Amino acid sequence: MRLPASPSLFIKLPLVLSVIVATVAATIGTAMVVQDRNRLRDELKGKALLLARSVAVTTPELLLRGDTWALYKVLRQITQGPEREGEAATVAAMVVDPNGKVLAHLDPAAFPIGLPAAVAGTEEHRLLDTALAMTEPGVLDGPGFVEGVTPVHTAGRTIGIVRVRLSTEELDRKTADAGLTVFLLSLGMTMVGSLLGAAWSVRTVRPLRRLARSMERMGRGEVTLLPVSRRDEIGQLVDSFNRMAVELDEKRRLEAELAANEKVIALGRIAAGVAHEVNNPLAGMLNCLSTLRARANDPALVAKYLPLIEKGLQRIGALVKDLLIELRVEDAHEAADPSCLEDIRDLVAAEIDPARVELGWDNRLQPGDLVNRPKMQQVLLNLMRNAVEAMPTGGCLACRFWSERTDLWFEVKDSGHGIAEDNLGRIFDPFFTSRPNGTGLGLWIVLRLVRSMGGTIDVDSAPERGTTFRIRIPRETDLVAQPA
Amino acid sequence: MRCLLIVLCLATMWLGAARAEPPIRFGLTAAVVRENLDLYDRLAAYLGRKVGRPVEVVQRRSYREAMELLENGEHDFAWICSLPYAKYRDSERIGLLAVPVFRGAPLYRAYIIVHRSSPIQNIAELEKRVFAYSDPDSNTGYAVPRRMVNELGRNPDSFFRHTFFTYGHTETIEAVAERVADGASVDSYVWEFLAHHGSRLTTDTRIIGQSETYGFPPLVYRVGVDERLRTKMADALLAMNRDPDGQALLGELMLDRFITPDPSLYDGVRRNLDRR
Repeated sequence: MRLPASPSLFIKLPLVLSVIVATVAATIGTAMVVQDRNRLRDELKGKALLLARSVAVTTPELLLRGDTWALYKVLRQITQGPEREGEAATVAAMVVDPNGKVLAHLDPAAFPIGLPAAVAGTEEHRLLDTALAMTEPGVLDGPGFVEGVTPVHTAGRTIGIVRVRLSTEELDRKTADAGLTVFLLSLGMTMVGSLLGAAWSVRTVRPLRRLARSMERMGRGEVTLLPVSRRDEIGQLVDSFNRMAVELDEKRRLEAELAANEKVIALGRIAAGVAHEVNNPLAGMLNCLSTLRARANDPALVAKYLPLIEKGLQRIGALVKDLLIELRVEDAHEAADPSCLEDIRDLVAAEIDPARVELGWDNRLQPGDLVNRPKMQQVLLNLMRNAVEAMPTGGCLACRFWSERTDLWFEVKDSGHGIAEDNLGRIFDPFFTSRPNGTGLGLWIVLRLVRSMGGTIDVDSAPERGTTFRIRIPRETDLVAQPA
Repeated sequence: MRCLLIVLCLATMWLGAARAEPPIRFGLTAAVVRENLDLYDRLAAYLGRKVGRPVEVVQRRSYREAMELLENGEHDFAWICSLPYAKYRDSERIGLLAVPVFRGAPLYRAYIIVHRSSPIQNIAELEKRVFAYSDPDSNTGYAVPRRMVNELGRNPDSFFRHTFFTYGHTETIEAVAERVADGASVDSYVWEFLAHHGSRLTTDTRIIGQSETYGFPPLVYRVGVDERLRTKMADALLAMNRDPDGQALLGELMLDRFITPDPSLYDGVRRNLDRR
């Protein structure tokens, strides 16, 4: 199975580090800017309220006396001091009567005395109504300003309302400045973060890459030891890798030796089996020949012994054929679509009597589920022929193939006489057979081929209830499927 | 030694006596440009030198206050508006000390002013507008415009939408310059004085009308003030244009000289008083 492509750690590490740094910096910066803005706005509100209250404290007498000019001057003096750098400007300041008419306004040209302070139906009028309804000093929010409102009371009666508006422009400008600073700072920190990340990733990834290359070489059988240049986890990893490489090399050498030994032993066993299997008919045949040579003119003997000799030779021929099959298929490899198995079905179907044996075929493998054609065909052929042999009086032969995520499954099931419990442990041994004319190599070949494909085989059988062989083969990967 | 002691004693007594003599209090009202205090301090110092006693200029917000101070003896002299003079001249409480000559005559008038950018062309168009008065006891700043509205056949109490007092001609001009008031009537001398000094207040205002002339705001004395002091003060004022320092001060005040006119100069003001 191929993993999805993923960018190198060389890129990922600095990227992740940059993202983390940027996120942290931006979050903290934004929080600070927001907090700062809230604080400044609260301050501005406090100032607007203070100004309104200052005017209100001075005005009751002026309002009662109707001293418009003094009222205007007080309003101007308190709310329109000399503007200093970085201070909020007074957008507007006014004293209105309880009906909303102007008593004094900082902009008398636009808001003449004695006329309503706002046109009905406007946002401005809504604000005016809110201010008029206030019985206690308070602060209102408006577009681009905060408004401090203080009613002027005398003898329990409201005689005027002081409204002072301070611009939030300076505030917005400060916030924008702070935002820009935070942005630039975040950017700077992110750049530093990515540089650090790049440096770090170079330091981290370089030995990992060397390790990966070494491992790759090790897969090809070359063992290279890497220098241990540091004492951190990566150093430990390289150290472990070196030890593993040495051990693996040793193991591989031992395995090769063992395999060679096993091969010699197996070869010896096969040779002994072959010798034994050949020797049995050979002895009978030699006996026959000896008898025939002594009584060569006896036609009755010729008629009796020639078939015996022929049978013996055929048995030897069958043995050789099976051995040749095993030798031929053992190293074969050809990845093919699972439809190649249909050939075996057709072959077996041609050999059986459909009236006697019912052949079930359920191939659910998909075109992409590649199989090793020569081996799988041989495995299937042997199992199916065995199954047919196990049902001399007829029955049902069912083949079912399916795939799972990592494995392909092959199941061959018959309803024959089953395998005796005593024999169950020996059926895969070479030259073991329960049939008089069997070579005892069929299942041995199956086992060897399944193992050579890295798979396993299970057998489930009970006398008179039939036998099921279930084979699991790891999926042929693309790598294996490529022509060697 | 004894002689020295006696001299010291005498000196102390003389100094104490000199210190005990109170300064002459000179009341100043909206009739003049009160903002230019330094100028009046120098005028006071000049007069002090001439009469041989310190003179102190005292400002009061309203004419009424100034008049009361004059009446109850707090002040001996005052520069008041023509209207209070016309009102009190027959009361035997105040007397005419001297009258300034402004641009050739002891006369001034009322200017009806609006803001430089205002479309208003005459006083009739100021109906339902905001109008600034200077003082209820002012001639040009109160009585004259009300007479003008009266002459339009309208009631001055309801002609304007809103009126208010500023208690100073300069402030009245400022109220119009700042557009708090749509129009106002001010003392021509004050307006010209400010205009002469290039004040922003006059460049921001425009004259749309003027009244006939009236007797210039006079300098008065309290009846009962020391006769010699009064004569000294009158002499000092009348001789100012012949003294270099006095001439310089007069120049700064934009006045030609001081004269002693006949009280009938204020008959015109008197008529306004009746119809106010």
